[in-house]
Amino acid sequence: MNVRATDRGAWRLVARRDLSVRLRDRGFVISTLITITVLTVIILIRAVGGSDAPSFSLGVAGASAGPSDVAEAAASVGRSIGVEVDVRRFDDERAAEAALLAGEVDAVLQGDELVGVRDVPDRLEQVVQAAAIGSRLRETLDEYDVPPAVRSDLADQAPIGVRTLEPHDPDRDENGALALIAVVLLYGQLFGYGIWIATGVIEEKSSRVVEILLSAIGPRQLMAGKIVGIGLLGLGQLAVIAIYAIVLARLTGALELPGEAIGVALLSIGWFLLGFAFYAGLFAVAGSLVSRMEELQNAMTPINLVIFVSLFISIGALQDPDGSLPRIASFLPTSSALAMPVRIVLGSATTSEVALSIAIVVLCAAALIPVSARLYAGAILRIGARVKLRDAWRSSRTG
Amino acid sequence: MLELIDLHRRFDDVVALDGVSFAVPDGEIVGFVGPNGSGKTTTMRIALGVLEPDSGTVRWHGRELDADERRRFGYMPEERGLYPKMRVHEQLVYLARLHGLGSPDAARRATEVLDALGVADRADDRVEALSLGNQQRVQLAAALVHEPTCLVLDEPFSGLDPVGVDALANVLLRQARNHGVSVVFSSHQLELVERFCDRIVLIHRGRVVASGTIDELRAMRTRRLLRVEVRRAADGWFEVIPGVVAVDVVAGGVVLELADDVDEQRVLDVARAAGDVEHFSRVRPTLAELFREVVQG
Repeated sequence: MNVRATDRGAWRLVARRDLSVRLRDRGFVISTLITITVLTVIILIRAVGGSDAPSFSLGVAGASAGPSDVAEAAASVGRSIGVEVDVRRFDDERAAEAALLAGEVDAVLQGDELVGVRDVPDRLEQVVQAAAIGSRLRETLDEYDVPPAVRSDLADQAPIGVRTLEPHDPDRDENGALALIAVVLLYGQLFGYGIWIATGVIEEKSSRVVEILLSAIGPRQLMAGKIVGIGLLGLGQLAVIAIYAIVLARLTGALELPGEAIGVALLSIGWFLLGFAFYAGLFAVAGSLVSRMEELQNAMTPINLVIFVSLFISIGALQDPDGSLPRIASFLPTSSALAMPVRIVLGSATTSEVALSIAIVVLCAAALIPVSARLYAGAILRIGARVKLRDAWRSSRTG
Repeated sequence: MLELIDLHRRFDDVVALDGVSFAVPDGEIVGFVGPNGSGKTTTMRIALGVLEPDSGTVRWHGRELDADERRRFGYMPEERGLYPKMRVHEQLVYLARLHGLGSPDAARRATEVLDALGVADRADDRVEALSLGNQQRVQLAAALVHEPTCLVLDEPFSGLDPVGVDALANVLLRQARNHGVSVVFSSHQLELVERFCDRIVLIHRGRVVASGTIDELRAMRTRRLLRVEVRRAADGWFEVIPGVVAVDVVAGGVVLELADDVDEQRVLDVARAAGDVEHFSRVRPTLAELFREVVQG
């Protein structure tokens, strides 16, 4: 019989079991479907809400030259400043008002009035006002018989340039949306898969199967296998969701920056790995301290709280990525997996800041994993009352 | 041969093991008995490497037991445990693989062992869907699936009906006699231990207080007891012999305890003089009696 000599590869068997059992789990299928549904809704809303360039439909009633000229001028002014004004003509005022009430046009020019339903969109009004002033100016020029050369000079006014003191990111809106999706997904993955580790540990402890497992392999192999198996599942789910979202956004036109989106997806996957490496061992310890599912919530409270606060700071960072709180949070290993991606996507983090943050979380995870392994090994066989951390530490003498 | 040598272990202030030593030869079945809390489970957990001793060693075939050899042991913990939602065959394959079997071997052995224990038809059921008796069988299958070199079973007979007890006893005998497996199990069912264990280890308060074959244990006993039934004799007929006292009255007779210098033949002579001797025998203590003597004192 082919008997392998050591248990060194045993974590792979554990990982494979933990992954495949959960892949077939109804909870996993449902949670994936929910995430995909929510993302689909967000993307479709964005696709319908459409392009960023403002565009309006302006109705003109009757055949008189005045309003018609103003409308044409408005279309031309709009073109020069990036506002699309589509002029539609109606036979009389009643037809124009009917179209206005039906929402087919945003406003109607009647004589020297601009008519809206309850309101006229600001940008449209500004464009029409500018066009009206231009028309009146032209009439005045006509009256004084100004030479055509002067007139064409006046008519040929290019809009003045716009400059900001702080650098302006034209893609800020879309990047903000991407960062929000990324941070919510990351939170869901870190938290959800962390809980799965804890419940997986309790399942083995409460069913007592852990004693049989530990007679075959060491506790570190068991814990490592569980973390790797469940982590891979989380990683795979994140990748599938990201690919789905990017393809859907591309097909519906919700996304104008596919390159950015792919970058954000890769960033999320990378930070999921870092955050998971930091938190997974802690979740395993939380699970090993208690013997029943009902006690888990209590044991996990400190971890939950930290992740939850990190989520809030990171969502706040969407508004103010350079603030001191998001800045600090992006370096702390407890929150960097959520806060740093936001700062990176919004262009607020420098390369050296990112490198430092990664170094901190990697070092902390590396220091934490042996500590959690020892606590886990010390607590996993203590069935009954909740195990104190100190006792778990001491009862595992081999470190 | 499995050897446990001078195992010590304490839990906080409680001394669980205070120098436990005994051996389980190849192909033999050792019964491990002792009152609740005497250290049986702790000893077994240490033998399996689930728990670390404070001091002492576990040897296998003369060398310190390492993880690779230990992995080939089979274990049935006192608290039975399997994944409740995992299917029986799949679960056994997984456990066999953790014990070091390759994938095809693991699948073949899982099928074989389920067949041998009569639960082959439940191979694709979830463990939680099985009756308690069948769960016990699957639990035993989990200890046997990787063809262990040594079996350590904590209370394997508890909760079994007489038919189940016989079936399990036969499995253990086959493992020991046909496959040369060292078997050690703990039990409170002493008549069972007496019936088919080759050796017995009696543990009390973390120490081995007696060990050997059942005959050796009986020989260790210091009290000399005779059961004598004499018809038509006066009560107290034996009182003429110094150093003989009655310790029990049984139907038609008495149980006498003899001091060291009293000759059994003299007692027989006195009995014959007193009346018609219908029964005269040494009292062979049962394991249960030895157990009580040792534990009470």
